[in-house]
Amino acid sequence: MAHHRVPTLQDTRTTLDGLGPRVLGISVAVGLAGLAAAVGLGLAQGDGLKHFSFAYLLNFAFFLGLSLGALFFIGIMFVTRASWNVVIRRLAEVMAAVMPLMAVLAIPVILLAGNIYGWMDPEVANSHAMAHKTGYLNLGAFTVRWIIYFVIWSGYSLFYWRSSLAQDKTGDLAITRRFENLSGFALLACGISMAAASFDLVMSIDPLWFSTMFAVYYWAGGFVTFFAVMTLVTLGLQRTGRLTRIVSPEHFHDLGKAMFAFTFFWGYIAFSQYMLYWYANIPEETAWYLLRSQNGWGELGKVQLYCTFGLPWLGLVSRWAKRSRKVLAFWAVWIIVAQWLNLYWVVMPEYSEHFVFSPIAVVCFLGIGGLWLAGVTRLAMGGSLVPTRDPRLDESLRFENA
Amino acid sequence: MSATKATGGLYALLTEFESPAQFMHGCERVRDAGFKHWDAHSPFPVHGMDDAMGIRGTRLPWLVLVGGLSGLSLGVLMQWWMNAVDYPYMISGKPMFGLPAAVPVIFELTVLLSAFACFFGMWGLNGMPRLSHPLLAHDRFRRASQDRFYIVIEARDPRFETEKTRAFLASLGGSVVDEVRESVEG
Repeated sequence: MAHHRVPTLQDTRTTLDGLGPRVLGISVAVGLAGLAAAVGLGLAQGDGLKHFSFAYLLNFAFFLGLSLGALFFIGIMFVTRASWNVVIRRLAEVMAAVMPLMAVLAIPVILLAGNIYGWMDPEVANSHAMAHKTGYLNLGAFTVRWIIYFVIWSGYSLFYWRSSLAQDKTGDLAITRRFENLSGFALLACGISMAAASFDLVMSIDPLWFSTMFAVYYWAGGFVTFFAVMTLVTLGLQRTGRLTRIVSPEHFHDLGKAMFAFTFFWGYIAFSQYMLYWYANIPEETAWYLLRSQNGWGELGKVQLYCTFGLPWLGLVSRWAKRSRKVLAFWAVWIIVAQWLNLYWVVMPEYSEHFVFSPIAVVCFLGIGGLWLAGVTRLAMGGSLVPTRDPRLDESLRFENA
Repeated sequence: MSATKATGGLYALLTEFESPAQFMHGCERVRDAGFKHWDAHSPFPVHGMDDAMGIRGTRLPWLVLVGGLSGLSLGVLMQWWMNAVDYPYMISGKPMFGLPAAVPVIFELTVLLSAFACFFGMWGLNGMPRLSHPLLAHDRFRRASQDRFYIVIEARDPRFETEKTRAFLASLGGSVVDEVRESVEG
């Protein structure tokens, strides 16, 4: 306040300028090359792209969860009328607004559904246990639901991004008020649709298994991944001289708190889902965990207990850790890798009941990740990296953790 | 209240400010003058105050860590002792001491003792509970919860010398310097 000057947007660069086309070029190249390589490797397996299908699904689910995390973040910030986030909110807006691209990337999942989903197998679909599920779990209904999901998600994410850009020009306060009024509905609509989507996308691979916690499990993973990616993107931009000073250790401290909190939340949910099934010990429920606790998958599961939950949580307990750019960057990378491994453990055992290391999944990560980053960069090139005329920008610039 | 009169020995000197900026600048000068037993009072949180007052990080997190670890160990030991040693009892074919089943109680005890350590540790570090404080008997100080800002330097500070400190406080630009007396019953 009195003793140090509050930074302004003039103190730093707030546009991508020359960086945009470079990142765009590289990420498109990596994305297309990665997907092509993944398809190539997949074809070389001679399994009718079965391995590729699971690798693709895993990475699609990972980046979809990330973008949905961004969308939830924006919604939550508006319903709580929070101000700290304003200097980084545009980044969340573009991460969410790639939703139409994610819709295009969802098409292969629908085309390859026969390779992935148990309910596509006529023998399973006609079994007694599926009698009441086939009305919901069939390709037609599945496709229609995905269209609905993406209409909702694209609608809201584009609405946030476009209106926010419009506010940069006009400074219209009514836009912020509209955000605040509509975000409650947005969270409700996205919450319900994301829950259904997590059942469709991942849980229904084994159509006989069910968990009411699965939606929260998937959401928590995506949400903590979002905070980790947001931290890395912001730190990366600062290394190129963008958003320096205006995004201060105070903001990183909050991102660190979010990573800390949602790492724990993820662990809490993951454990609760496990513990209830372990305790009740009913075969149709434990089958899912049985598959993932044998033949090498169990070891990965245990590694995860420490890597996805315990270590990053302990590593981020300290205030010092959350305010150190280097420590924060380390745990952000860690969390991203660990959450990806978690989805690997959730998805891949359905492909092979023996543990497999899948280079296709790694290459596919580069593929979908490259395209995701290209989409985000393309959108970020369309304006400032900061909502320049948001009414709470000044509060955000002055933000200090008490 | 009426039985208490603030007529005891000198407890502290106080100065009053009307703006947070002046107030914060004053705090920086008191900090730089090397006083240890002093405090700043404001009707609302003033951002940047921790730096201006030179407040070091609190030890509270360490107390909470100890509380949490105690709860965790207590939770593990208690359930292991009760279920697997003192009164072994097979429940639904689970191991005598099955960790997953024990985790909720371990978790809750960790949270409970962390919260206790945090709450009561805060009391301890703040010198609570305390039924009265000399400042609360000072008429002028009532505005600390309304529209005025105060810097209070206590007489027990090693650098405190009544006249010199009075002059120092007056030089901070506040509107008034006043004495705060110890409360005396009677």
